[in-house]
Amino acid sequence: MGKRFVCRVGDVPANAMKECEAEGGLKLLVANAGGEFFAYQAVCPHQDVPLCEGLYDGAMLTCHMHLWQWDIRSGAPVGLAETALERYALSVDGESIYVESKSALEMGGLFAGASEPTLAKLAALAKREEYEQGATIYSVGDAAEDFFVLDSGRVEFRIGRDERTSPAGFMLRKGEVFGWAALLDSHPRRIARARCEERSTVLRIDGRQTLQALEADPASGYLVMKRLSALIARYLAEPGAK
Amino acid sequence: MRVQLNARNRAYEFEAAPGEKILFAGLRARVDLPYECGTGTCGTCKARLVEGRIDDGWPEAPGRKYLKGAGEFLMCQCAAAGDLTAEVASFVYAVDSGACPVADAAGVVADARALTHDVMALDIELDRPVDFDAGQFMAVTMPGVPGCRGYSMVNFARRTRRLEFVLKKKPGGGVSGWLFGGSQDGRGGAKVELFGPLGKATFHPSLGKHLLCIAGGSGIAGMMAILARACEERYFAQYRGDVFFGVRTMADAFYLAELAAFRREFSGQLAITVALSDEDVPERAARDHPLLRFERGLVHEVAKKAMQGRFQNVRAYLAGPPPAVDAAIRFLLLEAKLTADNIRYDKFS
Repeated sequence: MGKRFVCRVGDVPANAMKECEAEGGLKLLVANAGGEFFAYQAVCPHQDVPLCEGLYDGAMLTCHMHLWQWDIRSGAPVGLAETALERYALSVDGESIYVESKSALEMGGLFAGASEPTLAKLAALAKREEYEQGATIYSVGDAAEDFFVLDSGRVEFRIGRDERTSPAGFMLRKGEVFGWAALLDSHPRRIARARCEERSTVLRIDGRQTLQALEADPASGYLVMKRLSALIARYLAEPGAK
Repeated sequence: MRVQLNARNRAYEFEAAPGEKILFAGLRARVDLPYECGTGTCGTCKARLVEGRIDDGWPEAPGRKYLKGAGEFLMCQCAAAGDLTAEVASFVYAVDSGACPVADAAGVVADARALTHDVMALDIELDRPVDFDAGQFMAVTMPGVPGCRGYSMVNFARRTRRLEFVLKKKPGGGVSGWLFGGSQDGRGGAKVELFGPLGKATFHPSLGKHLLCIAGGSGIAGMMAILARACEERYFAQYRGDVFFGVRTMADAFYLAELAAFRREFSGQLAITVALSDEDVPERAARDHPLLRFERGLVHEVAKKAMQGRFQNVRAYLAGPPPAVDAAIRFLLLEAKLTADNIRYDKFS
């Protein structure tokens, strides 16, 4: 996606926000934080409530429905929010504001905030793959060498074998990470099958090389591992989780 | 009927009785499905039908405005018409093992009495004892009135068979017509159905924070249970409590003697303010209720002014008409800088 005009600087007053429609019909929330502009998805990832109806004080954005909150400068979830906001890179040219969509890698909660050189290394490792509806990305027992970042589409998981399988969740948001066994030493094999329920695009990234990149940049590595442990804990919050 | 519920993190299977709402069947099976009002208005319990058929008990439910794609439905209003598979786009866990179990109950109206010209107290005697947390509500179905309504318990007791509720008369409201029609204290012996307890705006004495309760009108109901629980545990011997009760005029106020009784024991730590939005405070108010404070103004504005500089380590509970709750949320988040997890309310109206 190239640059798209979204609105004029004067449309969004200081420490206010506004829903705008970018060229091509994409709806976005544009926020002004002390003269700096940020662009996000226009609706709350929880229940699709328009975020422009929420509360904003120039630093924190709150959806009025269930008080999910985000840091306006990063889109990172705060408090009750379960997921980050989809952020768009934004540029100001004179009086005009333009947006570009961010890569799935930067958007996902896992790598946001990692250093630029490390993100560039990871981006270089990422292989973009497209799957048709019904295609299997990996099966139970496969070697867990790569992890994946969802770019578009929908991936569902099933645990168990043959006839005795049961659903084990699904991924549907851009930037969501799955197959993270590849980032763990103790889990060499897949324990679930990952199947695309729609035509899907994913980034496939080598786990070992990712760990090497993170070891070379311990500050970023610490951040990523902290996020990874929180991610795993969310799934392991109870028995039977993926 | 077998319901398979696919969530973001895993799937659940539970049994639903014929005609039973899918939300209630799931909660009964201790699956913590997303919901807030449980009565068709808030849209929080929306799900997507993957396979099978549903019976929609209330196709005009206001909460349906939050549905978009085909196949989306409100779990609190729809029953399974056979085995089905549905999906919710959020993480779902098992109900916390410490939570009070939810179930159906049958009740009879044991007492109904007027508290003001348009507010009634309703006592319901249950066919079995129930446990609930202070601040929770029941989904109550009245005879001849379609759908159910959420009403917060006023009393707090363990294993109790008697629940106290507050009902506000609403113009054209089905429940109001049933309750307020006929003689003022009639309706004794009428049969009602209940499901619950529901709601997450609960208070436990282990909280360890000062309490701030802001309630408009009949929203005071749940606060009464919270205060009853807190006083029983001598919570205010250690923590401060500030209660703000908003009504239009003195003639609309109720439970003033009960509120004063809470305060009598903990006068140094518990402050109770009645905010009158539509009239100046009459002179007799303070004379008749020496333990209560009275202020003119909207309840959230009165609370904001009185709480200035005292928002450290505070947990807020809110209830009442949605505009009042929204206004309170706004100042608590943006000005008082409370974190979202310390602002508790259940959006039902």
